[in-house]
Amino acid sequence: MSAGIGMVPGARARSGDTAGAWARRNVWTLGLIGLLLAFLALTKVIQPNYGAPGIQGLAISILPIAFAAVAQAIVVISGGIDLSVGSMMALASVTSAVLMKDQGDVIGVAVVVGVLLLGATVGAINGGLVVATKVPDIVVTLAMSFVWAGTALLILNTPGGGAAPWLMAIISGPLGSPWLPKALIVLAVVVAVVWLPLRRSTMGLALYAVGSSRLAAFRSGIAVGRTKIIAYALTGFFSAMGGLALTASGGVGAPVPGSYTLQSVAAIVLGGVSLAGGRGGVLGPIIAVIVLALVRIDLTFLGVDPNLSTAIQGVILIGVVMFGSLVAMRKVRA
Amino acid sequence: MKRIGMVRSLVAVAIAAIAVGACSGGASTSPAASGGTGAAAKYSIGFSNPGGVGNGWREAMLCSAKAQAVKSGEVSKVTIFHRETDAAGQLADIRTLIAQGVNAIIINPAGPDALNPAIAEAIAAGITVVAVDASVTAPGAYNLSNDQEQYAYLGASWLFKEGMGGKGAVVYMRGIAGHPADTDRDTGFQRALKENPGITIASTAVTKWDPNTATTQINDLMSAGTKFDGIWTSGVDSNIVDALKAAGHPYVPIVGADNAGFVTQLLATDGPKGAAVTNPASIGGAGVALALQILDGKKPAETTVHVTPELWSNTDDAGKAKLKAAADPSLPKTWPLGLTIADWTTYSKPELIACKGPGEA
Repeated sequence: MSAGIGMVPGARARSGDTAGAWARRNVWTLGLIGLLLAFLALTKVIQPNYGAPGIQGLAISILPIAFAAVAQAIVVISGGIDLSVGSMMALASVTSAVLMKDQGDVIGVAVVVGVLLLGATVGAINGGLVVATKVPDIVVTLAMSFVWAGTALLILNTPGGGAAPWLMAIISGPLGSPWLPKALIVLAVVVAVVWLPLRRSTMGLALYAVGSSRLAAFRSGIAVGRTKIIAYALTGFFSAMGGLALTASGGVGAPVPGSYTLQSVAAIVLGGVSLAGGRGGVLGPIIAVIVLALVRIDLTFLGVDPNLSTAIQGVILIGVVMFGSLVAMRKVRA
Repeated sequence: MKRIGMVRSLVAVAIAAIAVGACSGGASTSPAASGGTGAAAKYSIGFSNPGGVGNGWREAMLCSAKAQAVKSGEVSKVTIFHRETDAAGQLADIRTLIAQGVNAIIINPAGPDALNPAIAEAIAAGITVVAVDASVTAPGAYNLSNDQEQYAYLGASWLFKEGMGGKGAVVYMRGIAGHPADTDRDTGFQRALKENPGITIASTAVTKWDPNTATTQINDLMSAGTKFDGIWTSGVDSNIVDALKAAGHPYVPIVGADNAGFVTQLLATDGPKGAAVTNPASIGGAGVALALQILDGKKPAETTVHVTPELWSNTDDAGKAKLKAAADPSLPKTWPLGLTIADWTTYSKPELIACKGPGEA
């Protein structure tokens, strides 16, 4: 599974260096996995009693951000960017919490499906506006972020509502081994079921092609507008998953979201997705989310001053990205 | 090709720099050290505060927790999560504290219900949980809070009756939407409003307890020409007085908290007519004291303990005397003056201001 999600098609690469490009892109993901293992080991060294419960808590807490990162990765791969991810999460969270409060399991399932459709619709509206108005993605989605955030506050002006018990149970605790948190399984299953088949389809290729070069894609007969709208719809879908994860983790709807939009951008940058589009996968960003969470946890355990810790996290993020870019550039030269 | 790669990495770095502010979580720990008073420093305490970074009240709350931990001599380590986040972020912080294996967790909750899953996990792990400032509904958690409903009712009643003479329009400057303390204060405010039918609301603003946000909001109101005869603030107060002064707007009666800057303004001869309602930030230290009591086996009979607020107005002599006694211009302007709570905190004011946890030099 990991290779599948992490792989990037050689849409950009010439036939001669396809193998080299493949290896280079996977080096980033593999490097991130190495970084993740290093941080896990470091955490264990700093805090010897960090164990299975810590991993479970970590999995639940990264779930909303991981979905946000997947959402952002898809739209950025297609050559766009969506600054309304956090607002769409808030919208999905309050909608689900309001509709699910004091309802049975059947209605709960219907609400989850409905909210995911709502997310896809909201995302498609973002995409439709980008395509129709030709205003830059960053401007359209920034403006829409206020629209969706305001809508979320209209639905619920303070945290409230409720979550179906099964929804909360589905992400809390382990499955089988205490080292296998349910939240991680949910994340893997959703991404595998939705993203993997799509990635391997013509549509998936079109996403990368449009992100890589809009003109080339257009001349190859790809419906660029439709592809962009679908990419934004997918981003809306995964943002809605993130919103549902927020509702599930606290049991109430949160109308004012945390800074998930920027966290998602940080995660995809660290996760090896090119902001210029056409490159990257979703496994890298997911691992990047976990790495960023571990950095914060480790700095806490180490007793670093909160303000200094913020600065250190920035330096680590920039350092890793710059180091990665340098290595990549060297390889191109060699 | 190479140049494009360079540009991309620069763009990536720039975006990363912007983004890091978002994923930053402030947290600090005091390293292990032996207690100062000879008792065994055997407990490790965690504190989770999900907002108000840079807000004097929240900073003082955390300092009081550190000071009380040192003074007790029973605490070897205080781990503090102090960052701007939502309930989901605070859930993560609480779970990190559980994973760290602390003995007690003090929480300033982002919501009354949303933290319950993690609190239940903490209690199941044998950790004592004390919510300060506002309450949580999780069974088994202790609540030690200022009586927020009474806080708002006292101030609003004074403002409507004494301040505004029973009629006029009030600007209602709330805290964080959904924060339990804000919800309780709203209940008290609305009760006072109902008892004073001559008062209308000119505008409601949600300040997030952030001085800059609140200043922008009052400036917007003034430039929009909104007429108001009084201002009720949820504790972001001195900057509102400053904004009125800067805009040349005549002072209107104003209610705030017992913050250093605001009390100084109330005592100034050309200051506004107003009242300060006490809301001791030392509730953080009191929370540590309560947690230590419970850890030592002295559980209180009730799981909810309220600290009752007082009102000091500059329109009567008794209030003026209290304001004068409390005033301390040497403190940062947004810091509260209620730095100790009798029966709960045992540190001295300088110890709080030093803001050092166990083992911190």
